[in-house]
Amino acid sequence: MEKKIGVYICKGCGIGEALNVDELKKATAGGAKIAADVIREHDILCSPAGLEMIHNDIKEGTNCIVVGACSPRVKFEEFDFPGTITERVNIREFIAWTMEPQNEDTQSVAEDYIKMGVIKVQKGDVPTPNILGDLSNAIMVVGGGITGITAALEAANAGYKVILVEKEAELGGWSAKLYKETPRVYPYDKLDEPRIFDKIKELEAHPDITIYKSTIVEKTDGQPGLFDVTLKTNGTSQTIKVGAFVMAAGWKPYDATKLGHLGYGHPNVITNVQMEEIAKKGKITRPSDGKEAKNVAFIQCAGSRDANHLPYCSSFCCGTSLKQAKYVREKSSDAVAMIFYKDIRTPGQTELFYKNMQNDPGVLLTKGDVTAVTDAGNGNLYVEAENTLLGEKIKVEADLVVLATGIVPATRATQEYFDALTEVGKKGDDAKKAFLEETPKPDSILNLTYRQGPEIPTLEGAYGFADSNFICFQYETRRTGIYTAGCVKQPMTMSDAADDAAGAALKAIQCVEHVAKGMAVHPRAWDTTFPDPMLIKCTACKRCTEECPFGAIDEDEKGIPAYRLNRCRRCGTCMGACPERIVSFKDFSVDIVGSMIKGIDVPDEGYRVIVLACENDAYPALDSAAIKKMKLHPSVRIIPVRCLGSTNLVWVTDALSRGIDGLILLGCKYGENYQCHFVKGSELANYRFEKLQETLSKLQLEADRCQLMQVAISEYDKLPAMIDDFMKRIDEVGPNPFKGF
Amino acid sequence: MAEQIIKPDVNFINDIIAAGGESVKKCFQCATCSVVCNVTPEDNPFPRKEMLAAQWGLKDRLISNPDVWLCHQCSDCTAYCPRGAKPGEVLGAVRKLSIEHYATPSFLGKAVASPKALIGLILVPVIIFIAAIMVQGNSFFPEGEIVYAEKFMKVPYIDVIFSAAAIFALFGFFMGVTKYWKDLTKNIEKSSNPWQKKVKGPMIAMILETVFEFMTHKRFDKCDVTNDRSKTHLFVFFGFVGLAITTTWAIAYLYGHEFFHIQKTFWLNFGESPYPLYDPMKILGNFSAVLLLAGILQVITNRRKNAEKAGSGSYYDWLFISVITSIVVTGILSEVLRLAHVRMVAYPVYFIHLVSVFFLFAYAPYSKMAHMAYRTTALVFAKYTGREVK
Repeated sequence: MEKKIGVYICKGCGIGEALNVDELKKATAGGAKIAADVIREHDILCSPAGLEMIHNDIKEGTNCIVVGACSPRVKFEEFDFPGTITERVNIREFIAWTMEPQNEDTQSVAEDYIKMGVIKVQKGDVPTPNILGDLSNAIMVVGGGITGITAALEAANAGYKVILVEKEAELGGWSAKLYKETPRVYPYDKLDEPRIFDKIKELEAHPDITIYKSTIVEKTDGQPGLFDVTLKTNGTSQTIKVGAFVMAAGWKPYDATKLGHLGYGHPNVITNVQMEEIAKKGKITRPSDGKEAKNVAFIQCAGSRDANHLPYCSSFCCGTSLKQAKYVREKSSDAVAMIFYKDIRTPGQTELFYKNMQNDPGVLLTKGDVTAVTDAGNGNLYVEAENTLLGEKIKVEADLVVLATGIVPATRATQEYFDALTEVGKKGDDAKKAFLEETPKPDSILNLTYRQGPEIPTLEGAYGFADSNFICFQYETRRTGIYTAGCVKQPMTMSDAADDAAGAALKAIQCVEHVAKGMAVHPRAWDTTFPDPMLIKCTACKRCTEECPFGAIDEDEKGIPAYRLNRCRRCGTCMGACPERIVSFKDFSVDIVGSMIKGIDVPDEGYRVIVLACENDAYPALDSAAIKKMKLHPSVRIIPVRCLGSTNLVWVTDALSRGIDGLILLGCKYGENYQCHFVKGSELANYRFEKLQETLSKLQLEADRCQLMQVAISEYDKLPAMIDDFMKRIDEVGPNPFKGF
Repeated sequence: MAEQIIKPDVNFINDIIAAGGESVKKCFQCATCSVVCNVTPEDNPFPRKEMLAAQWGLKDRLISNPDVWLCHQCSDCTAYCPRGAKPGEVLGAVRKLSIEHYATPSFLGKAVASPKALIGLILVPVIIFIAAIMVQGNSFFPEGEIVYAEKFMKVPYIDVIFSAAAIFALFGFFMGVTKYWKDLTKNIEKSSNPWQKKVKGPMIAMILETVFEFMTHKRFDKCDVTNDRSKTHLFVFFGFVGLAITTTWAIAYLYGHEFFHIQKTFWLNFGESPYPLYDPMKILGNFSAVLLLAGILQVITNRRKNAEKAGSGSYYDWLFISVITSIVVTGILSEVLRLAHVRMVAYPVYFIHLVSVFFLFAYAPYSKMAHMAYRTTALVFAKYTGREVK
């Protein structure tokens, strides 16, 4: 494509006051500095007249548009010119609102930004989506409980073929084992019949849903739109092609045999699951002698919120015990239900049910720590508790004790196995071999054939729940096209699980629709560019295959990366990782950013510092600082990157060798509670950076010249000061000795 | 601290609910009640702990709990309770159950507490007085000038019936309070509460202090939300004191004349009733009656005014208020109707008056009237144990 570049400078929103636009146009027209075919200004570029000006030029043949105006995060509908290469240069937020007006420094910042914009359109290209052939838009739901069934119905009712796989012989999961459900409608005072059976009927009657019972997923191969799933039913296997997954594998109750300290092992100490079975049969009778239980003690958080067992709250147990207290009371009017809790946690409207239950004279509640459950003779039990509302230490007699045990996600066993394997692996190959031989491998749910392992990766601090960067994006896992929902993801009530299932179904639909358009899914859900490695130059170093946060790159037998494009989220981590610099996107490559850096004018006097800012959090934070009219240091030049993970170290050497005095990598928080949209981009950048700093020291360059800063989107107010502090440090270190070479 | 065995009693919870504490289960233990209460001791304050015990039906922690009586049902707690649990009403219900618990004979405790037994309780004095009139051979509507004593109910009959009622009531009080005191002091040994230890000091001083306290309504005056109750109660209280003095005075007139032959001197009208209106005893009596009427009417209006904040009261409360109202209204009417010579109405009204007074006297240990005995006992005990340190 022959490029015809148009530069359009807006004078609105204070830009005209801050900058000498005529000078800027001259600099642009000067050719030596910035080469453009058309250079125009407008008082309000986003106005119909301003946009018409651009559209007229496009008709005349201009196909590369550089818009020098506001942040690309606003007015994206106005400045959308399909078929062109459009680059937004943020001279409003980064200059007009944050720098001294009509000043030589400010003017030079604008010149640099416009020039970088022009370089970017010169080097870039219009993306053509890469749509893989023979795609499936069917959705596979793994798990036939309330979550799975709801997800299947939601997806099928939206017009998609659904395949539901259930490990057990019967559908319904835990929901089908309940006697009654906690109230679902106002005024939340009557127990509801389990809703699951109607849903099962609807599911089984749905023409677009295929159900596989007593079936497990033996193998999952491929990528979104092209998953080849091998199902095994009663020993026979078959392979089915699907587009995306909803993983609703659910949970198991916590192993009560570990709760000996709460009396488990005594026949009349049961779990909340056993209580449902008893209630379903009729009267509340106790296991030891079948006598009707009239004094029932409920112990909340049995093995939950306990560092020795499950450290988290399982969310449903308080509501369940209140419900079971109602069983006790409804089946016998003179019966008493005593509930010992740490805190009653009844999420959402269950609070109203809690209030109703409190009003029942026979439901007795106290906060307290249960210290012992001991035999009291005749099959009865003493429950001893301390720090109760009724006194320091109390003791009650009960004829049945119910332990409110919590949720263990179905993914926990596999994740624990792989965590242990990683730990053992650090001790050497022999230890690893011994571990593999001695430890039985737990069943994996999806059995992915990915290079990075068969299961969804562990999220640190998630206790085995299926990974989700839930800070911002509930359904995302690190395996594109696989969306988790329900209690496999986090503990939740049935109503929450049903809502969650609908959300996951929509995400799965979004995924199959996007891959059909050759478009990325979250978070770059508009993006039709894709990594295009020049594999002929690959050295099979495997850095990209190891570092890809989404397991998008497998390897062939020679160790050459095999991109599974539909798994890719376009973060550019592989581009940052590659020492041979062979990975490029149409509008984002090592060369494009490198050239932009080289385009920055480096004067003999004064400093120049480059900020490589993550587009997801750091860049919006800078915009926010600008909206607050905070001052940015005029020596910095901000270049947005898709993710800090895409930072290729050659940019650093490019910059320093050109006399740039310092470099800031501005990215998201990493580690526990990471906020990176691509999971570990800033962490990887930091890892690479640490190595770089050693090299810098060897080159007699101060390591302080390069710094990675973590910033949350909400910390915009600290950002200008962070940059100023860095500038002070640069001032102490002095100018880059390579300046002028 | 020693381990305590908790025995929840659902029947007791149901009793509290039935006795006017229907909001008891709403409490979510925030302790606002104990913070806003002006009459609770700072150490181990009420009513939160009582609310907890009530929610669990811990009867033995409540029935003999002196703190229940330290509460004057100011209703500050009820007004500020964020959950509408009305601790004031709950404690009122507990007090009622406590009176019922110590009632001797116990069936009377239950009967006074129950609306179903009301007719029966009224019939007792009605039958007694009808019988008395018939035994005397008097008409129910005697002819001529109205003289209640001479023509309707002769003094010896009045004296015998009311003395019997008073002795019966005293016996009831004595038995109830003795049992209560035994439980209170028994709990001292059992209790692990640091405040329930005996302090040394003469009992008589503590009793005097308590009497002084309720003469001045010092504690009552600490109430915020229903502070006006302090004054109305003072009216009712001194109305009763005045009427008690009047009655004693009248006995002195009657028997002073009869047995000691004291004659009319100046304005002191020794002899039989009716007495002239200028007689100081009569003046005191009429003044006390007006005081009582003003007090009880205020009680009624205040209760209705504060119902939203403080709760509307139980059957037990209203029974007591009704009896007092009936006494004072029929008492005043009897006098007015006598002076106005409205014969056909005056005698029935006087009859109702007699029945009402009997009701108050005979059933005092089982009705809310008993609060004077139990509250006094509890206050003395609180002082005795150092519970009430200023």
